Amino acid sequence: MEAWLVVLLYGLITALATGLGALPFIFVRHVFGRTVACANAVAAGLMLGASFGLVAEGTLYGHWQTLVGAVLGMLFILGTQRTIHEHKIDFSSLGLVGGQRALLIVVVMTIHSFAEGVAVGVAFGGGEKLALLITMAIAVHNVPEGLAISAVLRPHGASLLACIGWSIVSSLPQPLMAVPAFLFVDAFRPVLPYGLGFAAGAMVFMVLDELLPEAYEEASRPVIGLLVSTSLAGMILLQQYL
Amino acid sequence: MMFEGTVFVSRLWAVVLYSGLAAACAALGVLPFMARRRLPSAWLGWADALAAGLMLGASYILVVEGIERLPLAETFGTLAGIATLYATHALTGIWKPGLRPARPDGSGPTDKLWLRNAIHSSAEGVSIGAAMAVDLDFGIFVALALTAHNVPEATALCAYLVPRGVRLLPAALLCVAANLGQIVLAVLTFLMVAEQPALLPAALGFAAGALIYLVVVELLPDSFAKTGHTTIAVLTSVALGAVVIFRGMI
Repeated sequence: MEAWLVVLLYGLITALATGLGALPFIFVRHVFGRTVACANAVAAGLMLGASFGLVAEGTLYGHWQTLVGAVLGMLFILGTQRTIHEHKIDFSSLGLVGGQRALLIVVVMTIHSFAEGVAVGVAFGGGEKLALLITMAIAVHNVPEGLAISAVLRPHGASLLACIGWSIVSSLPQPLMAVPAFLFVDAFRPVLPYGLGFAAGAMVFMVLDELLPEAYEEASRPVIGLLVSTSLAGMILLQQYL
Repeated sequence: MMFEGTVFVSRLWAVVLYSGLAAACAALGVLPFMARRRLPSAWLGWADALAAGLMLGASYILVVEGIERLPLAETFGTLAGIATLYATHALTGIWKPGLRPARPDGSGPTDKLWLRNAIHSSAEGVSIGAAMAVDLDFGIFVALALTAHNVPEATALCAYLVPRGVRLLPAALLCVAANLGQIVLAVLTFLMVAEQPALLPAALGFAAGALIYLVVVELLPDSFAKTGHTTIAVLTSVALGAVVIFRGMI
C-alpha cells in the first residue's frame, strides 16, 4: 500500500475512536442543571489539559509562533461567537441542539483536530515504523476528546447517535490534514506551532468564556474545582503516555 | 542531599529572599486605593482575572517541569495537591470563599477571609519551594510570576478592608501578613525536596494541582461574579500567555 494511504487509513481509525467518548453518556438520560454544570466542568478540565499539551509541543517548534497562533485562536472564538449570535444560526436540524455552545464546542474541537492532524503527519514523516504506535496513541487520546464534546452536547438534549457522529466529525480533519502534512513535511513543519497555538488559544478561551461561567451558575465551587482539576490532571497524564 | 554545602546555603537564601519578595509586593495591591476609596466592581473582577491567569500560567510551567521528570509521580502529586486543598477548605468551612459583606455587628467572615488567604498563600509557598529545587532560574521565574499574582490578589483583599475603615498603611501591612505563610511553606518544601530529591516530580505536581484548584474554586468564580465573562476570559488568557512566553524566553 502507498504510504500516504496508510496514513489516511490510520487517521480514519483514530477519528472513529473519538466516537467511543460518547459511550459513557448511554447512562446519562435525565438531565438536570447540575448535570450540565458537572459535564461542562469535566469538558473544561479535559480541554485545559489538552491545551497545556498543545502549548508544550508548540513551544518546542517556536515560542512566538505558538503565541501568535494562540492569539488568533482567541480572536477566532470571539468572532465565531459574534457571528453565531448575530445571525441566530440554527443547527437543530442536524441534531445539534443546545444552540451556540454546542455549535462552538464542535467547531473548536474540529479546528483543534486540524492542528493535531498536521502534528500527526509531521510525526509520521519521522519514520513509518512508528506509524502503528502513533495511530494507537492518537486513537486513545481522541476518546476523552469525544467525551468532552459529548459532555456538552448530551446534556443539551442531543441523542447518543448525534454525540457519536459529531465526535467523529470533529476528528475527521486529522486524517485529512495528516496526509498532506506527511507528504510535504518540510512545507508543513513551519506552520505547526501556529496551528498548535491556535488550537490551544481557542480551547482555553472557550473554557473561560463559555464552559466555566455556565458551570458556576449551577454547581458549587468545590465540586467544579474537583472535576476541572482532576480531569485536567488525567488528560495530561494520558497525553504523556500516549 | 540534592545540593552540596555552599550551594545549598545560597539556594536556601534565595528561597527566603524570593518568597519574601513575593509576600512584600502584596503591599502594592493597595495602590489603586490611593486614587479612590471604593473601586468599581469591574476593576476588582479584572484584578481577580489577572491573578487567575498568572496562577494558571505558574501551574502550567510546574506541570511541564514535573511531567518530563516522572509523569506518574507528577500526576500523583497533582491529585494529592487537589485533595489537600479540597480537604483543607472542607475542614475549615471555606466552602464558598467569596468576599461577602460583614454582618452589622462587625463579626463577619473576616476570620474566614484570613484563613482563606493563609491557605492560598501556603500553596504558593509550596510552588516556590519546589521550583527552587529544580534550578535557580526556574525558581526565580515561578516566584516572580506569583509576585505579580499577589498584587491584584491583594487589591481584592483591600477592596474588603478599605471601605470598612482600615487605613491604607495597615491595609498594605495586612496584605503582606496574609502572604507570610508563603515564606514558611517555601522553605519547608525546599528543605524536604533537597533532602529527598526523589520527591521533586510529586512536589511540582502537588504545587500545580493546588494552584489549579485555587484558580477554579476562588479566583475565576470571584471574577465572573464581578463583571462580564468575556472580559474575564480575555484578561485571564493574556496573563496566562504572558507567563508561558516569558518562560520560553529565559
